[in-house]
Amino acid sequence: MRCHRCRKPANVEIRRSRTAYCAGCYPDWFRQQVQDRIDHERMFRRDERVLVAVSGGKDSLALWHTLLQLGYQADGMYIRLGIGDYSRRSQAKSEAFAERHGLTLHQVDLKDDHGFTVPDLLDTRSGKPCAACGTVKRYHFNKVAADLGYPVVATGHNLDDEAATLLGNVVHWNTDYLGRQGPVLESTHPRLVRKVKPLYRLSERETAAYAIISRIDYILEECPMAKGAKSLAYKDLLNALEEEQPGAKHRFLVGFLKEGRAAVRTGGFDQAADLHECARCGQPTTGDLCAYCRMADRGRRKAVLKDAKYGRQPIAGPELQADR
Amino acid sequence: MRVTILPAREVKEVDARTVGDLLKALGLHRDAHLVVRGEDILTTDVRLTASDDVEVWPVISGGGD
Repeated sequence: MRCHRCRKPANVEIRRSRTAYCAGCYPDWFRQQVQDRIDHERMFRRDERVLVAVSGGKDSLALWHTLLQLGYQADGMYIRLGIGDYSRRSQAKSEAFAERHGLTLHQVDLKDDHGFTVPDLLDTRSGKPCAACGTVKRYHFNKVAADLGYPVVATGHNLDDEAATLLGNVVHWNTDYLGRQGPVLESTHPRLVRKVKPLYRLSERETAAYAIISRIDYILEECPMAKGAKSLAYKDLLNALEEEQPGAKHRFLVGFLKEGRAAVRTGGFDQAADLHECARCGQPTTGDLCAYCRMADRGRRKAVLKDAKYGRQPIAGPELQADR
Repeated sequence: MRVTILPAREVKEVDARTVGDLLKALGLHRDAHLVVRGEDILTTDVRLTASDDVEVWPVISGGGD
């Protein structure tokens, strides 16, 4: 296989477009794809400061690296989730990347600042904290961005993430979520910042190839709490399809965004109309307390019980609301 | 050839003519892995020999969102 641009031996194959690139040309191709999506979806302007949600993994670090290479003003934010050694290693990777490139990395520590960790949020039915972890991340990335005046948060969601989410939402016919899924979630409240996904049309394999070629040191291992997660099962199914039909994931997602999303009824869901401020933290919500504060109460209760069991001094957090 | 599968660095001896054949022999999806020799990522058509030493990098990560 030869490079589509310079005809040297290729390193990265793009099966969906029947092309390939060498290690010299590939990063430029990758960055052009990202720039094209930022422009096409009007994600952010050059004069806007972007807050990149950083996990220490390939996607978020590749995104941060790409935005800087493209000349954007991008700072990072990392959440210490408290998932044992995995969190310590991912934090170290994130900090090392920021230090190496002289960048600002904001951090939130769930345990020290909020009195619980992600392992305290295990769902009793699924035995997984993944959905709650998503709530934690969305809440804190938005809150820090709003508090510090960033107009936009960029996440490293890639084609595989988005196609797996779409498949999950179709399997369960989550029409509200289907109606909202997309590469840009506009701000609908002064305390809700715009969310964008500049990598949404690049596959995980392409993002990993960019990280390897660009010598980005990222955490390779999987989150130990994600083993058996539904999203991984959906990705496996989609990759089995991709094996037989190159480009299937891309067609599934892009076809939905172009043709299907507008046709999905959102069941009257109107995020902007019903939003007011959470009685405790002031973040936008449709209830008295926001989903994060309710979930954080559950997490703190579990953390207190765990601390008592092991004879540890609990970390003080906000007063707990009665369980609902 | 010697194949090291990351992240656990499990080592296997595998006979395969090309990178694509190697992934097939290991039962791995092409879109979920990269095969690396030295510092070079290899495309699926690259021929391999018995003396090759390659690494298989998983690229899938997951969880909530």
